[in-house]
Amino acid sequence: MKDFAKDFPILAQKVYGKRLVYLDNAATTQKPDTVIDTISDFYRSDNSNIHRGVHYLSEVSSERYEEARKKVSDFIGARNSSEVTFTSGTTGSINQVARSLGPSLRGNEVLVTGVEHHSNIVPWQLAGAKVKAIPMDDDCNLLIDSMEITNKTKLIAIAHASNVLGCVNEIKEITKIAKDHDIPVLVDAAQSIQHLPLDVKDIGCDFLAFSGHKMYASTGVGVLYTSDRFSDIMPAIGGGGMIDRVSLDKTTYLDPPLRFEAGTPDIAGAISISAAIDYMQKIGMDKIKNHEHDVYSYSRDKLLEMDNVMVYGNTNEMCGAVSFNLDKIHHYDTGLILDKIGVAVRTGHHCAQPLMRSLGIEGTVRASFALYNTKEDVDMLVEGIEKVEMMYK
Amino acid sequence: MNDVIQDEIIEEFDGLEWFDKYSLLISFGKKLKPMDEEFKIEENSISGCQSKVWVRSYNKDGKLSFDLDSDAMITKGIIALVAKVVNDRYPQEILNADLYFIDKIGLKSNLSPARSNGLESIINRIKEVASNEVNLNS
Repeated sequence: MKDFAKDFPILAQKVYGKRLVYLDNAATTQKPDTVIDTISDFYRSDNSNIHRGVHYLSEVSSERYEEARKKVSDFIGARNSSEVTFTSGTTGSINQVARSLGPSLRGNEVLVTGVEHHSNIVPWQLAGAKVKAIPMDDDCNLLIDSMEITNKTKLIAIAHASNVLGCVNEIKEITKIAKDHDIPVLVDAAQSIQHLPLDVKDIGCDFLAFSGHKMYASTGVGVLYTSDRFSDIMPAIGGGGMIDRVSLDKTTYLDPPLRFEAGTPDIAGAISISAAIDYMQKIGMDKIKNHEHDVYSYSRDKLLEMDNVMVYGNTNEMCGAVSFNLDKIHHYDTGLILDKIGVAVRTGHHCAQPLMRSLGIEGTVRASFALYNTKEDVDMLVEGIEKVEMMYK
Repeated sequence: MNDVIQDEIIEEFDGLEWFDKYSLLISFGKKLKPMDEEFKIEENSISGCQSKVWVRSYNKDGKLSFDLDSDAMITKGIIALVAKVVNDRYPQEILNADLYFIDKIGLKSNLSPARSNGLESIINRIKEVASNEVNLNS
């Protein structure tokens, strides 16, 4: 297996004199040289505003932006690149759907899971919907048979993979049921797009949201896939670049995706997503999945072997994040000490307070992986945990 | 303002590696008298994302003291030091106090407002209590 960490310049550094073991990838991934170079080259040679200019550079940047859209569209298996909108990130994408569907959600219900990130809860509440969770067992397996769909259920919005536990939800089972009831499904793919091969046609969802920065691209940019079936929904944000005609009495809008992209978008960001996809595809999504699966399983096995470590969640398929706590040691203390060993983890509720409540805990220590992590990184984590335990004896 | 207690703390931490610093904080945390459960209520808590902290204050002969507790041991160690510095002082003294030991012992990063529930909100709460006392008596 190639040492992918070599492609990521930031990982070569030492922190507190120790090798940096970066296990906070569910928060954000590091960027490979190719992505960094793409962003810098864009500003060095191609930068211009898009879609409006008559001049050479505007043509170049518009073309690169639209190529990025096509790249994303192919990457997620969309039928048409018009189904791909660039947004500010997963949160922006979900809020956009919430505002676009607003009137139909008000006073009705949105079905989510018990492992959702707050960004797949709050936008629906802001839109005036009641948020209900599909029941799950103690291991966080969804109890799909107990899913209650009523005539008030107007949307099902589910995480593909949990940002806290790494549990992968059976989204295809859910889209099948949703189809029978003619209810649209939104999939929050923020924690799966970088780990698993994914195809929106195969999943059968109507909306899919993810962020660039969690898939090796830059921050502040993300994607919303909207099935052509919803191409007539109203834009959530108005402004420049998305209109057909404007008068003081009435405005008509461009067709998707441009009608959803008011104002100047993050052009370099969108292009960075394209470069990140190139990087991942060069390795191969299946290969990434298998390598990460090895490291992930190894981490769970190692943690489960430890006497005083409690690991949360256990579903058939898992990826990305593993959450745990040490007996009688606060997650914050654990995180602070691991940091000084050079192991970067995240601690707290991970923006998933409903999940914390159902687990009966305040927070966890979360280690989360990317394609550059290795079993040696896991060994460093385990060594760190042993050190933490020793300090508390 | 230099004070003996802060200078003693600085001396105790001087030259220690991170692990020894944390070990020392953990030992201070363990020694801090825990707050009775009945007082660990919302009203006394400084809520945040990382660890819970509770603050109570009392006035004895015009001097202020604080009971502090946390569910995280390192946080508890840090607040034990803060308590040591500010306790049994006149409100105006606390209000004027410059807690320079925090920077000197290398815990300044715990002060950053970005660390939710960082030391800063605890110190703000203490100063707020002191300020209320000063206003009450003026």
